[in-house]
Amino acid sequence: MTTNSKDKKLTKKELNQIFWRSCQLDVSWNYERQQNLGYSYAMTPVINKLHDKGSEKQQRAYARGLDFMAITPQVSTLLMGINAAMEEENANNPDFDDDTIAAVKTSLMGPLAGIGDSMIAGTLRIIATGIAMGFASQGNVLGPILFLLIYNVPGFIIRYYGLKFGYEKGAAFITGAEKNGIMEKVTYVAGIVGLMAIGSMVASYIWLDLPIMIGSGEFAEPLSNYLDMIMPCLTQLALFGLMYWLLGKKVKTTWILIGTLVICIAVCFVFGI
Amino acid sequence: MMTQTLMIFVVAVLGYLNSYLASAMICRPMVMGTLVGLVLGDLQTGVMVGATLELVWLGAMAIGASNPPDMISGSIIGTAYVIVTGSDVAASVALAVPVSMLMQSLWNLMMMIIVPMLAAKADKYALTCDNKGIDRMHYIAIIIQVGILSVLTAIGFYVGSSVMENLVNSIPVFITNGLNYAMGIIPAIGFAMLARMIVNKKLACFLFFGFLLVAYFNLSIVGVTAIACVVAAILIFNTNGMENREVAVDDNEF
Repeated sequence: MTTNSKDKKLTKKELNQIFWRSCQLDVSWNYERQQNLGYSYAMTPVINKLHDKGSEKQQRAYARGLDFMAITPQVSTLLMGINAAMEEENANNPDFDDDTIAAVKTSLMGPLAGIGDSMIAGTLRIIATGIAMGFASQGNVLGPILFLLIYNVPGFIIRYYGLKFGYEKGAAFITGAEKNGIMEKVTYVAGIVGLMAIGSMVASYIWLDLPIMIGSGEFAEPLSNYLDMIMPCLTQLALFGLMYWLLGKKVKTTWILIGTLVICIAVCFVFGI
Repeated sequence: MMTQTLMIFVVAVLGYLNSYLASAMICRPMVMGTLVGLVLGDLQTGVMVGATLELVWLGAMAIGASNPPDMISGSIIGTAYVIVTGSDVAASVALAVPVSMLMQSLWNLMMMIIVPMLAAKADKYALTCDNKGIDRMHYIAIIIQVGILSVLTAIGFYVGSSVMENLVNSIPVFITNGLNYAMGIIPAIGFAMLARMIVNKKLACFLFFGFLLVAYFNLSIVGVTAIACVVAAILIFNTNGMENREVAVDDNEF
């Protein structure tokens, strides 16, 4: 087992498919798992090619593709490239622990999305708008054309080379790492970084700010102020804990979702918010 | 009027397909306004209204789990209103903002209920390794959302602005507020699913570490990730360092 005969190998065709399919990443966005359908859509040709039809590995790979995903579309191909390389290794090596793929995905998407959102959706878009605005406010059609060019030319360059780099370097990294037994450490590190990223997202992206006042008259203060005194973002943590607990009770996500909607509307109706 | 409505529909489809077409920002007011101007025969006004609305929504950008108002319907209706009625460019803002909010709450509803249901169906297809089925759920999500939203935008253009304004004002406040609160809570489900995937007893403390860094120090997610990398490096290299030192001590004894 020293020389891994790479009988299952991705070709240019599948990589091109990732590139074009990645362009649809955000179109099936949803509140529950965000880009999971789009990401899975980009990866299905790879999984289809690499794993035997109907095998357990293939089933797990498809399920993995449908996990939560949140990443800037333009940098998504970097992650897809790495994922494809790891999936290739998974298909050729029977001892490969495929939980590593989920861990690497989860730990990389946070930082990649953070950097991508601020660099592309933030900075690059603002630069493009600023330059285009001068023309557009005069009614000059050059404005919108420039806007699209300034934003999209770098966007597509990043998308193309991200995939190339992710797949080639990702593959080299994985094979080297496995020989040296670094893989276990990578999973450990990825677990730490991934969980810290989830923790930070819990505090940043969940919000609930009910206008409930405690006390009366002049001394009335919003409930949220009291909660913040105990611990900032306590509500967010409690909501996360509740969902975590419900999932542990094997409650279906659709029911949690509908329940949340009904309760929120009912609360607003009852309290007249 | 019918031809114009049809053209407006085509522009709306193009706008709602933005994230099908590489998230190329064709959904931005500057581009939408220009296209509306093009199909209604007044390119210059279209570009100018688009620029005005672009400034209104300059800060609006989908980041993480927060979605900005639906700029596509708002820009189209607002621009068309100015071109058709010949009113002031600023008038577009008053109409575009409520329209965009109304359409966004409808869109949110689809992204909260319909698309997650399709994702659940895709989970089932994954169990039987039916890749065509998984892909199909993705396509259905596109067709439902783009179809409904584009048709509504075209109808909005057809029936005119007064009807739309009344509709916006007629929805009970408790429903829109309730949906707003739900929107803030629902990401918790996704995070919980994610955490359940990679957590174990040894690593659970790091989830709280990341949380506390944001709760008490207001760090950004990039900042937390950078700290996470350092923490991971400390743990990895320190255990290595300890092993090496023990070896070194052994060497000295010989």
